[in-house]
Order: sequence, then C-alpha cells, then structure tokens
Amino acid sequence: MDFGFGGENVIKIEIVSGKIEPFPSEDSHRNDGAELVFNGRVRSTENGETILGLFYEHYEGMAEDELHSLALETTERFPISDLCCRHRVGEIPVGETAMHVSIWSEHRAEGLDAMTWFISELKRRIPIWKWAVLPDGSRIPSECRHELPTEK
Amino acid sequence: MKVTVKCFSQVRYHLGTGELIMHLEKGATTADLEKKVRDQAGNLLDGVSLRVAVNQKYTPESVKLEEGDEVALIPPVQGG
Repeated sequence: MDFGFGGENVIKIEIVSGKIEPFPSEDSHRNDGAELVFNGRVRSTENGETILGLFYEHYEGMAEDELHSLALETTERFPISDLCCRHRVGEIPVGETAMHVSIWSEHRAEGLDAMTWFISELKRRIPIWKWAVLPDGSRIPSECRHELPTEK
Repeated sequence: MKVTVKCFSQVRYHLGTGELIMHLEKGATTADLEKKVRDQAGNLLDGVSLRVAVNQKYTPESVKLEEGDEVALIPPVQGG
C-alpha cells in the first residue's frame, strides 16, 4: 500500500509473509539529513523459555488500514519526510526480522522522536499477535503484553 | 440475525477456531455478543481484556449489530 508522492510525504505500508527485504537507502532524499532504520527481530526466549520462533497472526484488512492510519498520523505529528514499514506475518525463526521501519527527516531529532512514537503506537493499536513456537513445534499465544491505547 | 465473529490469539486458542458464526436477537449489541462468547469459553477468557471491532473499525463503546456484521474480539495486540 503506497500513499503520497511528488513533494508530499511518501508512506509505504506492507504486510508480507516472506523474509523482509529492507527498503533501499536512496540518494533521492536530498533534503533529509537523517535516515532512521529500525529492525525488530525475533529473540530466542519468550518469558524465559526457549522458543524456535514466533508465529505472527494479523487481522487481514484491518491491520493494513490501521498501520496506514498510524503512519499518516505520524507524519502529521512529526515534521518528517517519508515513512516506510514492512511487517512480516506467519512463522518467523529466531534471529530473523519481524518488522522493518525506515524514516527520513531533515534532522535527527524529529526522526528519532517519530520512530519511537510510531513503534510504541504500533504495539498498542495494530491488530497483530504473536504465538510462541515451542521446541516441540506446537504454538501457544505469546505472554507478551502491551498497554491498551488510551484513546481511539 | 447472523454475524461473523473473528477470533485471534487467546480467543482463538481457547475456542479452538479463528471464526464463529453467531445467531443473535435483533437489536443485540457488541456487549451482548462478547458476553455470549465469554460464556461459551467458560472461565478460559476470564482476565483477558478484549477490545471490539465491527467491520474492521474499533468501537470503543458497545454498539448495536446488524445482519451480516463482522465482529472481531481483539485481545491485547502484540505487533512489532
């Protein structure tokens, strides 16, 4: 899902089922002195227990729409240029990237603030869930919890 | 009236399905539906906080449902 071009903010939101390819670092951002990249990766333990990976499920349709709304809101709250996010779903082995976010901004301060806010809000609002893949291959809902959004 | 209920995470785990079809009285609300699902789960969803989305939009308050609505019971989300 792409939105905006030609001088406006570029927002790219993708939910993918395979290994994430990072967004390219382009030289076209000639007015942007900061390029922020965040990769959220799967750790080897969940609540102290060893896991093989995480299975991400999502509410197809709503997850994409909510992510796009959140990205748009981020560009309205912070004076950044472009925001691109790829979130992977399905089974993701330990060590691999589950979420990739790139933000471009003129200066680092607003880029860092926008990245922090976007990720925090994503973890509160977007209908995506994790299941822990146990050593025997079975899956259980992850115990990881985040606060519910305070307003919507 | 018939509505589709989408189940995720703990709801899916405890009910054993990602989707239910529920038959409700005309005028039933999302609160009525949530109660029915929780009753069906016994005590397995006790302590699980749920948000509700109707036709893929969060509904902060209980709303009346209509024939054909898609209702999602949304446990605390875990993206990223």
